[in-house]
Amino acid sequence: MAPLVPSQGELQRRRLIGINAETVTNIPSTDFPGHWPGESHGWALDKFKNDFKVDYHRNDPYEASFSLIGLDAAVANAFRRILMAEIPTLAIETVYVHNNTSVIQDEVLAQRLGLIPLKGSVEGINWMHWEQKSTGDEASAAPELTDFNTVVMHLVVECTKNPDAAEDETDARKLFHNAHVYAKHLTFEPVGRQEQYFVGEGAIRPVNPDILIAKMRPGQQIEMELHCVKGIGADHAKFSPVATASYRLLPDIHIQRPIIGNDAKKFAKCFPKGVIGLEPVTSQEASQAGSGYEGHAGEMKAVVKDAFNDTVSRECLRHEEFQGKVKLGRVRDHFIFNIESSGQFESDTLFLEAVKVLKLKCARWKRGLDDLMA
Amino acid sequence: MSREAYQVPSMGGQNAFSNDAGYSNSMAIDTPSVVYLCGECSARVALKRGDQIRCKDCGHRVLYKERTKRMVQFEAR
Amino acid sequence: MPGSVHSQDPQDQSMVDVEQPQEELVLDERRILVLPGSSDTAASFQFEGEGHTMGNALRYAIMKNPAVEFCGYTIPHPSDAKMHLRIQTTDSTTALDALKKGFQDLMDLCDVVTEKFTVARDQFNEENSSKMQS
Repeated sequence: MAPLVPSQGELQRRRLIGINAETVTNIPSTDFPGHWPGESHGWALDKFKNDFKVDYHRNDPYEASFSLIGLDAAVANAFRRILMAEIPTLAIETVYVHNNTSVIQDEVLAQRLGLIPLKGSVEGINWMHWEQKSTGDEASAAPELTDFNTVVMHLVVECTKNPDAAEDETDARKLFHNAHVYAKHLTFEPVGRQEQYFVGEGAIRPVNPDILIAKMRPGQQIEMELHCVKGIGADHAKFSPVATASYRLLPDIHIQRPIIGNDAKKFAKCFPKGVIGLEPVTSQEASQAGSGYEGHAGEMKAVVKDAFNDTVSRECLRHEEFQGKVKLGRVRDHFIFNIESSGQFESDTLFLEAVKVLKLKCARWKRGLDDLMA
Repeated sequence: MSREAYQVPSMGGQNAFSNDAGYSNSMAIDTPSVVYLCGECSARVALKRGDQIRCKDCGHRVLYKERTKRMVQFEAR
Repeated sequence: MPGSVHSQDPQDQSMVDVEQPQEELVLDERRILVLPGSSDTAASFQFEGEGHTMGNALRYAIMKNPAVEFCGYTIPHPSDAKMHLRIQTTDSTTALDALKKGFQDLMDLCDVVTEKFTVARDQFNEENSSKMQS
């Protein structure tokens, strides 16, 4: 027996998650074999290839927004989680303090330094190696420091009086030299093959040179050596390549019965600007019996202009006059991703990297399975 | 025992005060000088053993030791 | 915990040029375990060092297999980095094969996502650059 094929309307209904004032309905995905009698929902690559769609909304180096349509939440969530916690990046890991007479304590300063996002030649960062941190075993010695796993930076700053400052100057930054220590004071020295990768524009440096690290007064100085290594966000948030990586489901607004006149204006105010538009009721609609528009020709009615920008605040469900006239929902398989890079990689490359990591993990486990059987 | 006769007890060579410049227990003229910071004017004051504990600029009598130059390792996390 | 590093221990200063090791092979075969009480068509697997990321995606891929009667995953304890995956299949396949197929399907899915994403992005970039020029 050939499998049943549900109608387009039925499929569209299944795609919607219902949102009521206090509850949600139709939550779990049902596209599995055996769920709908007679229908086939087995994995079919060509079907996925056909249905899956990507819509790009924005592509700035440090912020990208796009829609993935036709994916299950399990997979979309895997991409999001990998983006935040499993893509290796470079960050300061060890701090060797030679001198620090500033008022900020060594350990606090070290912690601050670790959180500074670094950037540099992407090629070079990819060339560098990421090693899984040895877990606890005291016997396993620290890995040998080499040019492909450690980047050395220095922070050497001394605060002095500025003899050229005006008599009545009160701004410490003018009164003294180096009263504020910024991320731009970090200096980088390439070692070994790093000289080929991290040159000129590709040199390792902070993403933002104006991050305030410490404040000092004349006579105080900081002298430290910083070792940067690659790591993943699961180990420490400083290694996370993204500021945020999130998705939301595409909102869906369905006006079931006409909303006309002043109600329409009020209805539009329940949503962010541009989501609900006002259009005049056409004479054709007004002449159609049972449409709800009878005798309202020329009046304004509410129409859904752009559900994409809705926040699904459910404000419209609080008002008596809209009861039963509107149905809110979200599209189950339309994920609007927003990826904000912290600066080491570009946002679109980060997503591709996340997909690659998921595939690599699968490949590795699969190889492990073969060994298990052998 | 007079003040001058007092000797810093040696702690088996691990003494934090002893520099590698062959420190002898004798009362030689070229005893190593240690730099202190004046508590009043923050001037650097180099003192030898037996020197009067007093800032050479402002005469303040409270001096502080400088921070150790020994390197300390921290994890940036 | 910070500790003082003594001057006679210069390990932090030395940076040695070492030949870069070939393709990392940190995979330890013991990281997958078949839990006791398994049969051909019903088995629980333990994955070490995995969590919801892989667990849920894999569960989805395996449930998409018509020969699979049941598939579910759990993380028995949040402090142990371990993920358990239960698979029960019909007689037409084995739990192990279903698991393998799950991995393969996920990998195929990743390829499609990469391909479509790249096309969409390049197209978007092209349209935007031409918009700016005009």
